[in-house]
Amino acid sequence: MGNEATARAAIEAGVQGVFSYPGTPSTEISEIFSTLSSFDVDAVDRTLHPQYVPYPVYFEYSVNEKVALEKAIAFSIGHKSALCCMKNVGMNVASDALMTVAYQKIYAPLVIIVCDDPGCHSSSNEQDSRHWGRMASVPLFNPAHPEDAYQMTKEAFLLSAEIQLPVIVRLTTRVSHTRSTVGYNGIQLNQKPGAFKRAPVQINIPARNADAHQQLVDKVHSEKFQRYFWNNNSLTSSSSSNLYGVISSGVSAVYLEEVLSRFKLQQRVATLKLGLIFPFPEKDVLLFLKQGFKYVLILEELEPVIEHQVRSVAQKNNLNLKIMGKGFSNLERTGEYSISIMTQVISDFMSLSLKEIKKPLQGLNDLVSNLPQRPPTLCVGCPHRATYYVLKLVIPRTDEGPLLCGDIGCIGLGALPPLKMLDTVNHMGMSIPMAQGLSEAIDHQHPNGVIAIVGDGTFFHSGIPALLNAVYTKANITVIIFDNRTIAMTGGQDHPGSAKHQGTHNVEIEGLVRGVGVESVSTVDPFNVKQMFSTLKGAISYQGVSVVVAQSPCIKIDSPLLPDRSQMKVVVDHNHCSTCFHHVDKTHPCSQLCTPSSGLARARAKIAAGIHLPAKDQSCPANICNHGFFNSILAGDYSTSLAIIRDNLLFARTCGDICHRPCEGDGVNKVPVKQLKKYVSSIEDNFNDFTALDKRIKETERQHHSVAIIGAGPAGLSAAYDLLLQGFSVTLYEKEQSAGGLLKFAIPDFRMDKGGYETEIQFLATHGVTFNFGHALGSEITLDGLLADYGAVILAIGLGRSLLLDQVEKALPRHHKYSAVDFLRQYNLGLIDLRAGSTLIIIGGGNSAIDAARTAKRIDQNNRVILSCLESREAMPAFDQEIAEALEEGVELITESEVNNIEAGDDQNFSLTLKNTLTGKTITTLNGHYLITAIGQSGDPDSLTGNHGITVDKEGRLPGDPSSELSYDHPSGNRAGALFVAGDIASGNHMSLIGAIGSGKKAAIGVRRALQGYQYEYEADEPLQALNSRQSHGMDSTHALKWEEQSPDQWSGDISRFDLYQPCERCNHCIDNFGCPSLVKVNGKVQIDQGTCTACGFCIDVCPNNAIKWAEATADISPVALS
Amino acid sequence: MSRDIKVMVTGVGGQGVIYLVDLLVSAATRSGIRVSTSEVHGLSQRGGSVNAGVTFGENTFGFVDQGEADYLIGLEFLEAQRHLSYLHSLSYAVIDNTRILPFSVSSEASTYPDTPELLAFLEEQIARVILIEDQLEEVNPLHRHLFVLGKATTLEGFPLTSHAIEKAIEEITRPALQEQNITLFRQGCGTDAGIKRQRAQGGQGDQTARSIV
Repeated sequence: MGNEATARAAIEAGVQGVFSYPGTPSTEISEIFSTLSSFDVDAVDRTLHPQYVPYPVYFEYSVNEKVALEKAIAFSIGHKSALCCMKNVGMNVASDALMTVAYQKIYAPLVIIVCDDPGCHSSSNEQDSRHWGRMASVPLFNPAHPEDAYQMTKEAFLLSAEIQLPVIVRLTTRVSHTRSTVGYNGIQLNQKPGAFKRAPVQINIPARNADAHQQLVDKVHSEKFQRYFWNNNSLTSSSSSNLYGVISSGVSAVYLEEVLSRFKLQQRVATLKLGLIFPFPEKDVLLFLKQGFKYVLILEELEPVIEHQVRSVAQKNNLNLKIMGKGFSNLERTGEYSISIMTQVISDFMSLSLKEIKKPLQGLNDLVSNLPQRPPTLCVGCPHRATYYVLKLVIPRTDEGPLLCGDIGCIGLGALPPLKMLDTVNHMGMSIPMAQGLSEAIDHQHPNGVIAIVGDGTFFHSGIPALLNAVYTKANITVIIFDNRTIAMTGGQDHPGSAKHQGTHNVEIEGLVRGVGVESVSTVDPFNVKQMFSTLKGAISYQGVSVVVAQSPCIKIDSPLLPDRSQMKVVVDHNHCSTCFHHVDKTHPCSQLCTPSSGLARARAKIAAGIHLPAKDQSCPANICNHGFFNSILAGDYSTSLAIIRDNLLFARTCGDICHRPCEGDGVNKVPVKQLKKYVSSIEDNFNDFTALDKRIKETERQHHSVAIIGAGPAGLSAAYDLLLQGFSVTLYEKEQSAGGLLKFAIPDFRMDKGGYETEIQFLATHGVTFNFGHALGSEITLDGLLADYGAVILAIGLGRSLLLDQVEKALPRHHKYSAVDFLRQYNLGLIDLRAGSTLIIIGGGNSAIDAARTAKRIDQNNRVILSCLESREAMPAFDQEIAEALEEGVELITESEVNNIEAGDDQNFSLTLKNTLTGKTITTLNGHYLITAIGQSGDPDSLTGNHGITVDKEGRLPGDPSSELSYDHPSGNRAGALFVAGDIASGNHMSLIGAIGSGKKAAIGVRRALQGYQYEYEADEPLQALNSRQSHGMDSTHALKWEEQSPDQWSGDISRFDLYQPCERCNHCIDNFGCPSLVKVNGKVQIDQGTCTACGFCIDVCPNNAIKWAEATADISPVALS
Repeated sequence: MSRDIKVMVTGVGGQGVIYLVDLLVSAATRSGIRVSTSEVHGLSQRGGSVNAGVTFGENTFGFVDQGEADYLIGLEFLEAQRHLSYLHSLSYAVIDNTRILPFSVSSEASTYPDTPELLAFLEEQIARVILIEDQLEEVNPLHRHLFVLGKATTLEGFPLTSHAIEKAIEEITRPALQEQNITLFRQGCGTDAGIKRQRAQGGQGDQTARSIV
């Protein structure tokens, strides 16, 4: 290989010190010295490779190219020969030293190898380092192939010794990484001892520099060069004609040779190949040009360095030639040349039509276009991926999120998908200054800060002065140093923080960073997700310069710090990976989006939340996927969270208003589902957007069956919604003149948004549900008739009749008394007309009683409202929060009391004596104007007349479980599976909004089972049944009120305390956001490639489904079926 | 060897493309054949696409341009397909049906190319193609390189003998791996039955089962 030949040449030349900074394509040169140098070589290496290093060579990977060159210069001044190697851009870093050393005197030869990278295979630019020769007045060789590299490196040592100047050998990727047979020679073994003689020439001061410059110019015009020109420039002549001359340099010369030989043109073209190109061999070139060519072609990749010189020679000598260079044929200033480019150029140059003998393949396009790309990626087990991932959890990657200024090295791969965690990458060391500058420039528009991301190697290379600058200028930036203890990208070379060799000192980054004055510094293991998360969070919010050292050794280096995981492996539990735990029916519509941000939100909750709750603990009786709902909110996707509600439930806003939140249980530590529901459904644009549902209904296959639903309350409407979405024709019969049921009439306006409810109901009307108002069961319609006309009937007529107290009925005239439902209905219809400042006494402890009491207060603040109930405060059936609000509004509460006596007074007055329910002792006697009875509702048995075997209980409710099929003796014979019951009329049902909705949905499932052969039971039956047994009535009121009063801005921080976890079928998080190459998705499930997995175990923390686990290395893992 | 021969070796970082190139150089040198190679390093350790040109003969210098490769040694199917334009109508190709899925495929954002389609194309357009479908038990699926090289030596006019390559394996391979590698190579040449192998039935299912997942 060209690089190896170069190293061999340096050894043969007797090099005594090698100084380098690794960088592709130059690295192999240094690597030879790294393993076979006095610096670290052990006896075994010396024995194995005596031919390489028969004498000690000092070698180091210097901290950067500038230090490398400076130390090499010092070596040379100290009378020892030196070699300094670097990649193209390294020369820029070292250039300060280069520009000045030429003015000084060196004593032992100093050769600089710089490797350019035309085509940018592995570099941040395509610079042409040949310019450095002219720029610094330093001789420069430009070899064409490995043999040249070997030869010219040896020549460079000789030349350097002779003229006492550094000499550059400039390679390119195609020279460095080309292999061919190179003969080698013996090694010079007369190494001199080091020495230093004090002399004025060692002091470079302005007073003598002008003279020094003149001496330098004289040096590079020295006759001494002539021998080197002859040795390194080669000439061929044409025998048949002298029309065409070609001057080439570098790998172009090789392409030219191959093309001339292939097409047998050697005899028709004269060539001059230049090896030593600075100083420019003007005499030789002039001699060549004077052969009388008509056309001269200049071949060199990148810049027209030689071309300009040739044109200058021709012009100075008045040569009448046509010179073709850049711009002619396919000769560009960018990219690499190739054999095919050269073939075309020679064709054009010689006006030939050169055709390849080999026939190319036809019709390739279909096969090679659009192939999946294979970009490089961070390795399996790479600690950088872990750090990037945690950073992704910490900061939003939105326009408002912090800017990420990256740097050179493996960390640059973080810019590629799926990580995409960099916003800028420039040249080596630019990250920290970039962050400072951007932070200063845009701070006001972008308050979320700027983060610099830099690898450990680059930090040592050029990051330290930049960090110092940040401290001193009081910059507000965070610097994350990805410290993998090596220079990883080029194969694991040393730097001061990684020194693995004897005799070097290991520098701790944290101490160094503190030393330059950074106060906020932490060193964290990236594989410790939680610690890394909190550290990064703290560092980013810190005002000033904060530094996080993410420290874990590169997986590719042999480090004692890497744990031994040979006994363990990491496996995927496919029962948890991308599996829906919410629906048994996998065809159930689901609006959950599979986006990187939704997966990230779940993963963030797993790592960062303090409260971890299985989603099953917050199940909804209406079967809403609270897991998807909540996590969409965490991801900031409110429209999806509303869509997830609407997958199961039309009344998002209504539930947000008045659901008694059974899913939130008793504790304060539950996700505030109701409040969140209220919020997402209050975003008007989303709330009024039913397009997704329109589309779903349009795309649903129509069912042949039609279904009648009696009662347009929440239960009947919910059944109608589900059946509509399943493609049934649905007709609703309602005895009132509008839909909405008790909810509409009996819930006061201040508790719910009636307009929103109306919008929700209207959706049904506009999407094909037929409403027949003024149709009461038993009069306009009969069960017999409906069952004859429809495939199924759902009875959801509610409890229409208010229960009354005999004492009240007997004692009080009509205008003194109301039932709660009537009172609320009249209020809602605007028909209530109470005397100002009146006293209202409400009997009852349920929600209707509280609603009536609060309504009475709202009608006139001066009204005195007293509520008497049988139960203790704790045992009252009303929702705790409602009671609390009523008390706050001034309602007086007399618990454990019952009516002892009631007497009508004159006009609109009565007196009421209450006694204690337990002791019977009189509590008080009240004077009131109105009395509202709120002791419950009953069914209306009359409406079920002619009931064909239907019986009702003493409350007028139909017996049995909610929504169960009702047996019914139809005149036409057996109509099993035709009549279903839902809502309050079912005696087993919980009397609440969510209970009614749940039972309506369950009835719809019953219909589908009967008519459609649907095979599943109602999926939320468990939480629906649990409503009845639940002792509590909503969550702790103080906690609830706190949520209710807060705006999303306030609670967005608070809800991130929660992790409502459950596997999700649509999860693609580890692929979308983490992208470890060992994780491969096959048929929708993730597999781990055990062949490449390093068992770092990080993906166990990454997986929000908790599907990735440790296993014994010997465990047998059956692969997922590949169907 | 009477004419110049150009070989293209393709694969994915970690599969041993550079090791194969080293072997070819060593074997050619000991056979007295002038050999040159050109490869691009750098990102090869990071799972990227890797390719190297190897040229045999007096007037070649390691560079293989489009339409010039007389032989294609493909260690990975997709990478072999990506380098199709390097072939010509008289080329020979030996392609291992190892499938290493790039990120876009493992994330199901793009699809891995279809094997029969490429095979049909090559059978029609080039001199000969060998698609290796053998399953090799107890062989790291990332290190099938010598088996593939063994197959390549059976192609008409391949410039190196299996004997020379075996000597090269001995020369440049770590002692611990030498025997194993030589067995694997002979297996590819068809001269050793030391490794259990199953002839795959062909078809998509088998290929997927053998892919590197």
